[in-house]
Formats: sequence, C-alpha cells, structure tokens
Amino acid sequence: MAALVGKGVRDMLKRADFMTVPRRQRHKKKWAATEPKFPATRLALQNFDMTYGVQFGDLWPSIRVSLLSEQKYGALVNNFAAWDRVSAELEQLSARDFVNEAIFHGEPEPENGQTAAPPPASWACSPNLRCFTFARGDVSRFPPARLGSLGVMDYYLMDAASLLPVLALGLQPGDTVLDLCAAPGGKTLALLQTGCCRNLAANDLSTSRAGRLQKVLHSYVPQDVRDRNRVRVTSWDGRKWGELEGDIYDRVLVDVPCTTDRHSLHEEENNIFQRSRKKERQMLPVLQVQLLAAGLLATKPGGHVVYSTCSLSHLQNEYVVQGTIELLANQYGVKVHVEDLTHFRKLFMDTFSFFPSCQVGELVIPNLMANFGPMYFCKMCRMT
Amino acid sequence: MAALGWQVSAWHRLIPLTWSLIARQTAQLGEQKRTTALLLRKLTTVSSGGDLGESPFVEPQKCAQEPEHRTGLTQCLLEKQRTAVERGKIVSSLLDMGFSDVHVNELLSIQPGTHPQQLLDIISELILLGLNPEPVCVAFKRSPQLLKLPIMQMKKRSSYLRKLGLGEGKLKRVLYCCPEVFTMRQRDIEIIVGVLKEKCLFTVKQVTEILHRCPCVLREDPGELEYKFQYAYFRMGINHVDVVKTDFLQYSMTKTKERHVFLERLGRYQTPDKKGQTLVPNPLLKDILRVSEAEFLAKTACSSAEEFEVFKKLLAREEEESEGRMADDESLEEEEEEPEEGEEREP
Repeated sequence: MAALVGKGVRDMLKRADFMTVPRRQRHKKKWAATEPKFPATRLALQNFDMTYGVQFGDLWPSIRVSLLSEQKYGALVNNFAAWDRVSAELEQLSARDFVNEAIFHGEPEPENGQTAAPPPASWACSPNLRCFTFARGDVSRFPPARLGSLGVMDYYLMDAASLLPVLALGLQPGDTVLDLCAAPGGKTLALLQTGCCRNLAANDLSTSRAGRLQKVLHSYVPQDVRDRNRVRVTSWDGRKWGELEGDIYDRVLVDVPCTTDRHSLHEEENNIFQRSRKKERQMLPVLQVQLLAAGLLATKPGGHVVYSTCSLSHLQNEYVVQGTIELLANQYGVKVHVEDLTHFRKLFMDTFSFFPSCQVGELVIPNLMANFGPMYFCKMCRMT
Repeated sequence: MAALGWQVSAWHRLIPLTWSLIARQTAQLGEQKRTTALLLRKLTTVSSGGDLGESPFVEPQKCAQEPEHRTGLTQCLLEKQRTAVERGKIVSSLLDMGFSDVHVNELLSIQPGTHPQQLLDIISELILLGLNPEPVCVAFKRSPQLLKLPIMQMKKRSSYLRKLGLGEGKLKRVLYCCPEVFTMRQRDIEIIVGVLKEKCLFTVKQVTEILHRCPCVLREDPGELEYKFQYAYFRMGINHVDVVKTDFLQYSMTKTKERHVFLERLGRYQTPDKKGQTLVPNPLLKDILRVSEAEFLAKTACSSAEEFEVFKKLLAREEEESEGRMADDESLEEEEEEPEEGEEREP
C-alpha cells in the first residue's frame, strides 16, 4: 500500500497508539531518529488492561475511557489572596465549592437499629479549604490562575481528588505537620491553607522537584505566613525519617511515588513504564512500605497518618498499608489502627466516584461524569 | 429490455393525432374515466392556463361568435390544436413507456413552462438508463430543475454514468440521494471517482458499488473522502471489501469517530495488528455504525447515554485543538525543511 502513505496517513498512524500526544511532550524529534514503535504510554495501557481488567472487572471500561480522556480540575482558592472575591468569581463561572457543599449539606444518617455514635474529633475534616469544581458532566475548563493584587496567585489548579487526603487528615490548629513526599506541592499548599500548621516540614527526595515545591510556595504563600508556619523544605531521603525525627509529628501525609496511572498514559518523558525502568517499577511497593513506615515512626503516639497514591493498583495501595502495619507491629512493636472513612466518603459521594470494595482506605475512580483521580487514601492512627 | 426497445423505436414513428384518435385511445384504456376526462381537459388547455369546463369544444365556438377577429382566431385555434397535438403525442409516448395516467399528469404539471418535447427527451434518457416510471416521477418531483437540462448534456452524462456502471436500475438510488448527479460538473464526479480509484485503490467494480450504495460520496469534499477511507483502513483496520459491504463511506466522519474512539478507549475495539489480529474480536461494523445511538450504547458500548454525551464534548474539543496543533506543525515543518528518515512522500 505504498501509494497510500502520505502526510495525512503519517499523522493518523502516529495517533494509532490511541491518544493524541501533546507536541511539547512528544519525545524529542531532533534527537531521536524515529518515533518509538512501542511507546511507554502504550506499555502502560497494556499493563493496566491486564491488571485492572481483572481487578475491576465490569468497572474497568468506564475507568479506562476516563483515564484516556481529558481530566477534570478543581480550583483550590488561595486563602492568602482575596479569597472571597476569588470565590465569587469562580461561582460566576457556574463552579461550586465542593468542600463547602459536602460539609454543610452532607448530614450523617444513623443506621437503622444502631445508636448513632457521636463522631470522634478525628473525623472532622481539615478546615478552611475551599475548592471549586464544575458540576457533574460539565466539561468547562478553569482559566489559568492569575497573580492577585496581594502579590500571590488567586487559585491553584489541581485534580480535585488530591484534596481528599488532606481533608481526611483532619488538621487541627497548632498541629505539627510533616509532608514526606511533598513535590510538586499541591497537597503541601493545601496543608498551609488550613492555617493549622504550627510547623510544616515539606520534603522531597529529588532536589529539582523540591525546587518546584519552593516555587509553588513562593507564588502562593506570603513570606510572613511561611515564616509564621515555620515552613521547612528539605530534600532528604524520606525513608530515614523514623531515625531523623521519630515520634514528633501530630499529622503526617505520605503521598508516595507510584505509577502515576493517569500521567503514565499520556506523558512519554520519564515514563515509569519504559523498559529501562522496569526494575524500579517492580520495586515500588517496597519503597512505598519503607516510606509509610518512616512516616508512621515519625508520628507521635496518638497522632495520625494519611497514606495516598494516584494509582489504582491493589499492590501499591491496600497491600502496602496492610504490609506496613504488619511490619511495624512485628519489627518495631508499634501498633497502628486503620480509621474507617465510610462517613467521610459519604460526604463527598456527590462529587466523586468511589470504588465500593476497598479492604482498607478509599479509592476515587475516574468516571466521565466526574473525571477526577485515581486517588487512593487511607487514614491511620498510631496507637503506641 | 427488447420490448422497451421496440416501444422506443415505435414512438418515433407515431402519426400526428387527431381529437378522434385520442378519444378512441382513451376510450380503449377505459379504467379511470375521470382521469381520462381530466387528461382530455388538460390536452385542450392553452399553456397560459384556463379551464374550459365540460365540453372540449366550448372555446372554438366562442371564437366563432366574433366575426371581426376570425382570421386571428383561426390562427390561434390552429396554434392551440398544434400544441394540443404535440402534447397528445407526448402523452401517448409516455403511456407507451409505461407511465400511468396519474404519472403523466404529475409529469406534465411539474414545470408547465417546459416544452413537451424537452420533457419527453429528458424522461426518455432516464428510461433508457433503466429507471422505472415510478422512480422517474419521484426524481422529477424532488428535483424539477432536471427538466431544464439541455438534452445534449443529459445524453453526455447518461453515457458517462453508463460507463461507470450506473445503468440498469442502479441509477434509482443514486438519483434519489443525489439528484445533482445530472446537474453537477462532470469534472467533480471524475474527481470523486479518481479519489476512489487512484487514492483509495478500489477496483472499478467496487467504485460502481460505492456510487450505487452511497451516492452521497459525490457530494463530499475529495480530501475528506480520502481521509474517511484512510480512517477506516489504517485506524480501524477495515479492508476494501468491508468498506464497500458495510456502506462505511456514507456515515459522517464525526459520528464514526465518536463511536469508534469511544469503543477504543473503553477497550472494546482494537486496531488489528499487522497480521490482522486482535486480542478480543472487534464488534461488527453494523453494530457500531448502522444501529441507533441507544442500541449502540446498550449493546455494543455497554455504557450510559450521559457518559457518551460527555465523551462527545471532550472528543470535539480534542479534535479542535489537535487541528490547531497540526497546523502549527505544518508551518514549522516548512521552516525546518529536513526530510524525516524512513518516511515516504507522495510525488
């Protein structure tokens, strides 16, 4: 079919790997002689078809089509800018604050035949978080964030599901907080927005990524607030935190490196599904256990930890949580209790699509009506 | 066809008809007395209109009552008789071709200004191309402008269509969907045929089949038609035979892409590999394109209407933005001027 090959066909064949790859993210044309015949994004999709097809069964097609289509964003309002004006502007766009709606309109219903236990203090969501999203099925986009009159940006665009681990952590005023794998900084920023941090330690192993984190903080948080919150940015090895700063923190967020499922389907550069990174990818659960263990050891007894990933994989989610709890019990004699987030999930059911059958923790699954996630999170309390 | 041929050659030799001959013929037909009376009335009607009432001979009598205009009126009467005779000839020919009285009435009333011989010639061409009387009437009712075509153009186009294999009854569907097949420029038809033969590499027989079954391709932009084929062949892995069999080319590119990409991203459709294999069998093309949207969603996609609505919006936006990017790419490539390795270019 030589006669059929031409410019238009070339473009079409490029797209035969099922998705349009943004030009700026394609492999560097000038350095590579030809395009990769089996791009990492395609390897990722094959991997997901195999594992998630089994794991999710009939749910997988709707998750798959959502992952391959444009994701939905939330606009986290910057409380250090003119947040009331920004909120009003976002409402003008027909977006609404899903946090506000969940907390003030979601009423906990006592189950039939059971006395409703008063919700313990740790159930309370982290305060002062305002995040706007468009309604279910609305595919509008937010305009890019702008610099406000106070010298900081007005809102931060992020996957709205990324806010859930921070909400679940349930910060309270005066808490000492650790964000163990903080870059690129969306969740760190959210932690600061709560206004609860007496100290915030933000760490990321990669110096370049820690640099990005710094930039985000500089763009959104005024200097005096950063000073007041005693924000400290480091790029040390997170696995060492048990030894470095054991038993110190009230709240710890462990948002571990994972296969970044959605990202891996679209971005070719540094994709963890490249054949050269296979070993690294297979060792991820080990790394994740080590990081979670360190985070738990850095928590003071009675303190809380939220573990989160942006992957759908059982192996990176529930298995890691269960494995770490066992490890801590056996090797360190530390008792960790998993908190039930059912009540929390019900608050946000209207905005997000949750997987109904997690053994521990909660999983936001992408759906075309609410194309957020994937986001897995699990809340734990260190008992001893 | 032999009988028709005889009939065709027969009407060339018809003698001019008189009133009595017409009366005899219509009496012989006999069935619908009312329609034949109507027919007689039509025959005596002057082209500028006007009903004569019951008797066909009223007007001549009226004329006879005004002696000062007798010469002019005689001429007028002769003129009317001549026109009537011509029309009578046409009617008879049409009836011989197999048109019913109803058909004849319809045909004569579509464009009253048409010269009867013109009408007959145009209709004859269509009959010769194998069209039956009923479809001919339908065609003219929908596209009265066909009656205005110069007969030479009509003959030329007929011969071209015959060459394309569109005689012998295949024309009916083409004419129904695409009446412009006679009025459009020959060059434009040739371009479309050229795309199908030279660019898409369909056989001559396949081209005929496509024109017969999906006449709307004649209306398409040639570049878009080629793209549509390439989408089927490369992106969906459909071969030439199936493109023809499933009438793939008649569906809009938007609809095809929406449904195909939706299935693909759901994981329910896979582009076949070099050996033409897929991990799971792909759904049949008729279950993708021919069925209604509701059935498509329920049976093939197994998804909900609301998800599909959102998906369509997202896809439309992606297409828009990708077109913008490709335009950028092309303008940048022109600047770079480096041929890429391993690529063929069209001469």
